[in-house]
Amino acid sequence: MDTAFWIISAVTVIGAVLAMTLRNLVHCVLALVLFFFGIAAHYFLLHADFLGAVQILLYVGAVAVLILFAIMLTRHVTGTEGQREVLGGKWWAGMGTAVIIAGLLWAVIRRDQLAALLPTGAAKTSVAEIGQVLVTRWVVPFEAMGVLLTAALIGAVVIALEEFIRRR
Amino acid sequence: MNELVKQQWLIPLFPLVAAAIQSLLPRGQRKLSAGLSITAMTASCVLALRALFATFGTGSEHEVARAVWNFTWFRFGSTGLDLGFVLDPLTAGMAVMVTFVGLWIFVNATGYMAEDENFTRFFCFMSLFAAAMLGVVVANNLLLFFICWELVGLCSYLLIGFWYFKPSAAAAMKKAFITTRIGDVGFFLGILLLYWQTGTLNLYDHGHGALEQADALSKLAGWWVFSMAGLIALLLFFGAMGKSAQFPLHVWLPDAMEGPTPVSALIHAATMVAAGVFMVGRMFPLFTAGAAEGGSTPVLDFVMWIGCITAVLSATIAVAQFDIKRVLAYSTCSQLGYMVMGLGAGGLVAGQFHLLTHAFFKALLFLGAGCVIIGTHHEQDMRRMGGLRQVMPITFVCYVIGSLALAGFPLTAGFFSKDEVLLVTYHRSQWAWGLGTFAAFLTAFYMARQIFMVFFGRWRGGDDQKEQEQAHEGGHAHEHHEPHEVSWNMWLPLVVLSVFALFMGWLGTPWVGGNLFQRYLAPEEIAPGASSLVLWLSIGVGLLGIVLGWVIYGRKTMEHATEPDPLATMLGGLFTLLNRKWYIDELYEATIIRFTATCGVFFRLVDKLVVDGILHAIAWTAWALSQIARWAGDEFLINGGFETSCESVRIGGKAFAKLQSGRVQNYFRVLTLGAAILLLVYFFA
Amino acid sequence: MNVPLSYYLMLSAFLFAIGLCGALSRKNAILVLMGIEIMFNAGILNLVAFWRYKLFATPSAQLFAIFAIAIAAAESAIGLALVIAIYRQYKSVDVDEITSLKG
Repeated sequence: MDTAFWIISAVTVIGAVLAMTLRNLVHCVLALVLFFFGIAAHYFLLHADFLGAVQILLYVGAVAVLILFAIMLTRHVTGTEGQREVLGGKWWAGMGTAVIIAGLLWAVIRRDQLAALLPTGAAKTSVAEIGQVLVTRWVVPFEAMGVLLTAALIGAVVIALEEFIRRR
Repeated sequence: MNELVKQQWLIPLFPLVAAAIQSLLPRGQRKLSAGLSITAMTASCVLALRALFATFGTGSEHEVARAVWNFTWFRFGSTGLDLGFVLDPLTAGMAVMVTFVGLWIFVNATGYMAEDENFTRFFCFMSLFAAAMLGVVVANNLLLFFICWELVGLCSYLLIGFWYFKPSAAAAMKKAFITTRIGDVGFFLGILLLYWQTGTLNLYDHGHGALEQADALSKLAGWWVFSMAGLIALLLFFGAMGKSAQFPLHVWLPDAMEGPTPVSALIHAATMVAAGVFMVGRMFPLFTAGAAEGGSTPVLDFVMWIGCITAVLSATIAVAQFDIKRVLAYSTCSQLGYMVMGLGAGGLVAGQFHLLTHAFFKALLFLGAGCVIIGTHHEQDMRRMGGLRQVMPITFVCYVIGSLALAGFPLTAGFFSKDEVLLVTYHRSQWAWGLGTFAAFLTAFYMARQIFMVFFGRWRGGDDQKEQEQAHEGGHAHEHHEPHEVSWNMWLPLVVLSVFALFMGWLGTPWVGGNLFQRYLAPEEIAPGASSLVLWLSIGVGLLGIVLGWVIYGRKTMEHATEPDPLATMLGGLFTLLNRKWYIDELYEATIIRFTATCGVFFRLVDKLVVDGILHAIAWTAWALSQIARWAGDEFLINGGFETSCESVRIGGKAFAKLQSGRVQNYFRVLTLGAAILLLVYFFA
Repeated sequence: MNVPLSYYLMLSAFLFAIGLCGALSRKNAILVLMGIEIMFNAGILNLVAFWRYKLFATPSAQLFAIFAIAIAAAESAIGLALVIAIYRQYKSVDVDEITSLKG
């Protein structure tokens, strides 16, 4: 079953790379969607079925669409989006730093014993169990999440609506 | 007497306190100032008289009465400096003379200085002078003597130049001080030598005093023909030569007439110039120590001849002077020469007696001259006087009495004292006696000349003015310029002193109490044998001088102020020589003074080039160092450092400000960099 | 599959680095936000991998991941709203041009 891992990893990495390097903005978003799908596949591979479903629902269904909407709303009048310059000023500083971080993490992971672990038993967790634990043990974070999402909703509306209200 | 000597210091104290108070008085307090001086002198006179009476009858046949009181002034280590006072006949007599004559001179001065605005300053200096002179008189210690000697010189300087704004007075005061100072150098050397040889500065100290060791000193060899005692005496005599205006240091005395006439009377007739003679008398044991047969020592001979030369020289100059005070000044010089000659001939009694009588009649003459000057509205040239005996009778009578005393007219005080001097000199050296007699003749002559010129004939004072007024046909009242008699506070002292000038001489004669004065003053001295040659010759020359004076000046008085002097027409060039004081001043000017001036120029050059040069070099070095310090320290380090640090802060701030670019992505980049460093540190450090 | 944990950790680190590179270098603000999303997902993957290999018995770690996803979504919504608002003000979503907070 190792091959599944490698193929899904390859897809995910390609999606991420493309998302960050393509010139056309919409192409980037589509690559991002590919990436999300790859992550969801990894979740399935890791026996986190519910999580994978949530990933697809949320990220692909909501966030990617949101991003598309945002792109549409912020298109340049002339129609050329980001064609003149793809990379911002002093992009190499950022790239270099990211490379350093990657290197560090890799070095850490390499030497740690923990990393040679192999997966344990094959017991699956059911959605019912998740739901059960959600409303008993983790009910407070759950409710807090609700509040947070409400706040985020209202906030986003307020921010995006500002001018509309003022114009009236 | 031993208790009284402990109070001797009070005698100079009263005038000193008066001077101290007067120095603080404001200028307008005239009556208070004069009153202080006169009161102080009266008090001192009373004390001096008390001391005088205490010395009567305490002496013995061969020992003079003497009490001393010495005390230590301050110590340094095992030695110290002493001061001391003495009470003996010499001191007592001098103290009474100084205070008494001084008192009457102060009274006269209240009239003489009445119109001067510096009245209080005058009396302050006069009181200080009196204090110093009395200090000289009562001192038993050479240190105290010298201190007061110098103070006397200082007061003379201050009083000669009282009208310092006159250039002639300023020059005269300097001349007096410097000339006497030259003598004082010798005096000081004498003091040092005496201290070195005897180990003490006290004159009498119960056997250990300096004068009591004079015999021992005379056995030591001194210099050339002088024994140690003689050498010390010689050096001390230099001081007397300066102070008492002996040849060759006599040049300051005539110039000292620039001062007010009471000053001339007190200082330059009666007291200060007599201090030198007094000093010789005080130190007489040193002079006579080691005397050969007949009582002469080399130093005494030197003293006698100096006195003789001075007497004759001054008398010749006095004959040809026209200023009333100059005549009297040269006369004083000449009489001082007499005193010194008498002392040099071994006659302590003769010299001191003449000193005392001379004080009275010379003071009288000077005060009389002062009255004449005031009465003729500050006229001093005798050629412009004349006929004053009708206008100023009291002054005339007193002046004649004084002149007769000075000329040695029989039975006046001056006659007896001068006769004593000539007698003593006759027994020592006939040449000196002959010259002294010639000087006596000249003395009588010039005094007669002065009297006939001033008091007889017609008043010539307005001669120049009358011609000017006739030319202008103008007129202010002539009465303003006519002479008049002076006020009572000016002629009363004349009268008092005249009495003494007439009758004081009887003290020294054999017919009253048998040589009273001599036995009182120096009982150990042998009275000189009487000589009728000396006696009649001195009477004769005195009368001859008076007659000659009448022949030339009295029989036909000067008609006009601008007439030449009759003597001038007779003597011609000799008269000019005498009038120009034998050109001694000019000689000094050409030699010594020019040499000193050249030295002064030379040293001034050294000062300017060398000393100032070094000074400027040091100053320039300091300035250069300071410039370097300023550049390096201040400019470079402090200012530069400050500016550099400010600049670097500014640049650093500008650099740091670039971090705040306002671009969020940049902030993110920096953040990531920081996270990378943290990871590095966390995992690998 | 018998993949050791370290593979998943390295994969997640790699993805995180890619997302970081993009977030730091792209000019468009939306792409920066996308990079941040990639970073988020990498992190959550890491979390889930650890759950699978160590705490397989409990479902709590999944819940942790669910909460993280929810928060990430909320955050991206707000972020995009901000981008829209900024677009309205500056007429541009170029990160180099939005410098009014410049010091």
